[in-house]
Amino acid sequence: MRRANLKSVWLTLLAAYVLYLLPWEGYGLLLRPDFVLLALLYWMLRAPRLCNLGTAWVMGLLIDVASGSYFGQHALAYSCAAFFAIQYHRRLVLFNSMQQTGHVFLLLLVSQIVLLVIKLMSGNEAPGWDYFLSSISGVVLWQALVIARVIVAENRSSA
Amino acid sequence: MPSPMEQHLQPTAFFIRGASPLARLAFYAIVSIVLMGVDARLHYLVEIRQGISVALHPLEVAARAPVDAYNYISEYIHTQTTLVAENRALREKALQDSENLQRFNTLQAENAHMRSLLNATPTLPQPARLGEIIHSGRDPFSRKIIVNLGARHGITPGQAVIDEWGVVGQVTAVYPLSSEVTLVSDNDLAVPVQVERSGLRAITGKNGNNNSIGLPFLPVNVDIQPGDKLVTSGIDGVYPAGLAVCKVAAIDRKSDAPFARIDCTPAAGIGIHRQVLLIPPAENMPPLLVPPKPADKTAAKSKPGKKPHAPRKP
Repeated sequence: MRRANLKSVWLTLLAAYVLYLLPWEGYGLLLRPDFVLLALLYWMLRAPRLCNLGTAWVMGLLIDVASGSYFGQHALAYSCAAFFAIQYHRRLVLFNSMQQTGHVFLLLLVSQIVLLVIKLMSGNEAPGWDYFLSSISGVVLWQALVIARVIVAENRSSA
Repeated sequence: MPSPMEQHLQPTAFFIRGASPLARLAFYAIVSIVLMGVDARLHYLVEIRQGISVALHPLEVAARAPVDAYNYISEYIHTQTTLVAENRALREKALQDSENLQRFNTLQAENAHMRSLLNATPTLPQPARLGEIIHSGRDPFSRKIIVNLGARHGITPGQAVIDEWGVVGQVTAVYPLSSEVTLVSDNDLAVPVQVERSGLRAITGKNGNNNSIGLPFLPVNVDIQPGDKLVTSGIDGVYPAGLAVCKVAAIDRKSDAPFARIDCTPAAGIGIHRQVLLIPPAENMPPLLVPPKPADKTAAKSKPGKKPHAPRKP
């Protein structure tokens, strides 16, 4: 097992941030998975000592700058998701692959719901149900990456 | 079969050092909420946001590069027939516009003459800047676009943004190299409008989710019909008068509701164009009242202090 180091954590987060910065439009914007939160959750589940609540908060602030929303909105949403990820971290080893996916889905939903509440309180119109499509596409991306990792690992062990 | 995540888990320290997750969450939540309040109400963080956005600019350019390259290539390999058709359409449009323009020149001369008769201040011709839309806003809650002109190009917050068909929106945030335009269909943007047919004035607002514009607080028996054109009234000093804003699509008059529900479709082709015009605020308008910053207060205080000394001089 490779040990995770801090450099790979930040490089992954940077890559996810650049993916977020791509000019998404229309349905792409609706379906855009939350790359940064997925990267944060991955590292939080794998190496919680390198990536924790503070990392999530800082990345949330950067997202706030990029999206033009008030400082602290995404930071708060990411911190809440990170809190649940770390709180239930020890339980994760008991889960099978599908249960882990469900766990990630719930964490993505937590961040979206916190953001929704903040936005509604600051006077935004309630978006339709398609607002939550981003969580679904996020968990689909997560599952695709997990499957890709399993295939890579099997290829390595057979080679 | 062990799950893939399990293989890569690192054992954490069993005894947690430092603050518990709940304490950290509480700390970060409080800091976030304070930041939100400071940013939304006190506007102290504008400079910090601008600084970070400049630092992030290279990243944004890097992220945009593949998309720009794709657009460039797809434009480059346009077929000749599409170009010829487009050229012909543009020529026809130029011909129609030139006719309007000739009348406009006469009218402008006449208007200047009238104004000189009335001793009114002449309206200055205002240079409009052509900006290119970089991308649409990243926040799915608001309707915004980012334009490639910023403070370094002389853009100021509050400028009106139009395209060839009508009002697109208003500049709401200016960064050094780009600026953020809130679209007319955004829930937060209100535009003073006038019904072209009857001259009735109203203010847009209460916009729906599906790219529509609402006209709130008009009585049920208001004289508006579906198909009415709404143009800017020009009384706000932001938008020049007479620009098309939207067209009335549907009116819902319920006798038990105090106000009519009016839905309009925007006139500007917001999702179609890549270029927009940024026009400066009208110059014959009194400046908008801006709450003074702390730095301005000291300047204002020192000025009256100086004034009494001035008459002593002779």
